[in-house]
Amino acid sequence: MDASRFISSGLIEAYVSGLATSNEIEELERGMAQYPEVRAAVDDCQLDMEQYVTLQAKTPKPEVKQNILRIIADEETAKENGTYVEETAIAFPNEEKVYVSSAWRWIAAAVFVALLGSLYMNYIYSGQINDYKGRYEALLSSQNSMASESNLYRTRLEQMEASMNIVKSPSMKAVKMSGTKPFPTALATVYWNQQSKEVFVMVNNLPEPAADKQYQLWAIVGGKPVDMGVFETGNKDELLHKMKSIDNAEMFAITLENKGGSPSPTLDQMYVAGKAS
Amino acid sequence: MESAFTYTESELVQGLKAKDQKVFGYLYDRYSPALYGVALKVLNDESNANDVLQEVFLKIWRNIDRYDESKGRLFTWMLNITRNSAIDTLRSKAHKMDQKIQDIGDDVHLYTGNLTVHPSVDHLGLSKVLEKLTKEQRIIIDLAYYKGCTQEEISKVLEIPLGTVKTRMRNAIIQLRNLLKLV
Repeated sequence: MDASRFISSGLIEAYVSGLATSNEIEELERGMAQYPEVRAAVDDCQLDMEQYVTLQAKTPKPEVKQNILRIIADEETAKENGTYVEETAIAFPNEEKVYVSSAWRWIAAAVFVALLGSLYMNYIYSGQINDYKGRYEALLSSQNSMASESNLYRTRLEQMEASMNIVKSPSMKAVKMSGTKPFPTALATVYWNQQSKEVFVMVNNLPEPAADKQYQLWAIVGGKPVDMGVFETGNKDELLHKMKSIDNAEMFAITLENKGGSPSPTLDQMYVAGKAS
Repeated sequence: MESAFTYTESELVQGLKAKDQKVFGYLYDRYSPALYGVALKVLNDESNANDVLQEVFLKIWRNIDRYDESKGRLFTWMLNITRNSAIDTLRSKAHKMDQKIQDIGDDVHLYTGNLTVHPSVDHLGLSKVLEKLTKEQRIIIDLAYYKGCTQEEISKVLEIPLGTVKTRMRNAIIQLRNLLKLV
């Protein structure tokens, strides 16, 4: 074969892809030695194959490097100490015949059987350990989610306790505000501390407002509405909303206003109202 | 752990032959992703591929004196060790050709174009190449290179006459090389 026949025969591609038989490899290697252009063609093709392979690179686990470095460091230390045993020495033990007493043979056989048994148990137990590991991890994650759930409940409970303490005060006056004509099912309650003059509002039943709307509490003093502030209804754990304090009022009412509240109430959006005395 | 400086290939070889562990660490950082990629493609199993990678780097360390610079580049030598070790492992795990073919079939990321499993890969480059190869071209290259299949085995798997295996391989590799020029 001349150089161009080598190049067009498909032998180079077969060689580089690992497809070539040992006869074909020999043939091509002779060609490479004989013709520099064949050699160059093989090298080029190999470089491209290596580029293809490198495109599929992936970083291995970092433990592998640690393992390898530890093993070679140990080997080098052993070589310095003269305790290193060549692998080949282990692979090809000398085959001198050694006669052993039958008792020892039985012991060796027994030890061998025990070893097999132990290997088998290792296999079984390693399977079990993996199983337990999986179960342990599952438990751990369910424990974590339970812990966060329990935190959630605790916050809720604390909020409710705080609300209870406010309502429990003996100087607390409750003002029930019933639904107005357009909103008959609406209901809310004002808790008004007669001593500290603090006012809280509790929503018993008010529809969820649109995103740009907010409920606003009003006190009617001397026939005029006084702004008591706006409140959110989204958080169900927050039973009582602290509003502005007021010394005296004849009535309380809630209207739905644009977010942030209005200077005066939109009367056709009055949901609830109730007499304070 | 990445080394801040680089070595030329002959410095690498000299360092390795002098049993310089720092050079070896550099060699690992530089080449382990490519070699691991090969082992993973052959075995299709991360744990086995990690084992093979460890075995390969120990072989490189212990047998560096057998490396002959006049016969080829260091990377080619390391690639061959990796392919051979991985394919040996593959054969010891499943000698049946069915299994090899099964593996090729399971290796879906290659044949469906879903490349997300290779995070460190130059996605664009690889997918550009793979898209333009026909399925048969990809399989014939991978069966030979990554699964160590013989011409007879490939002829059976792809149901093509034995005499055309080499021609098909040649065409596949020519196409592959043209595509690589575009990457």
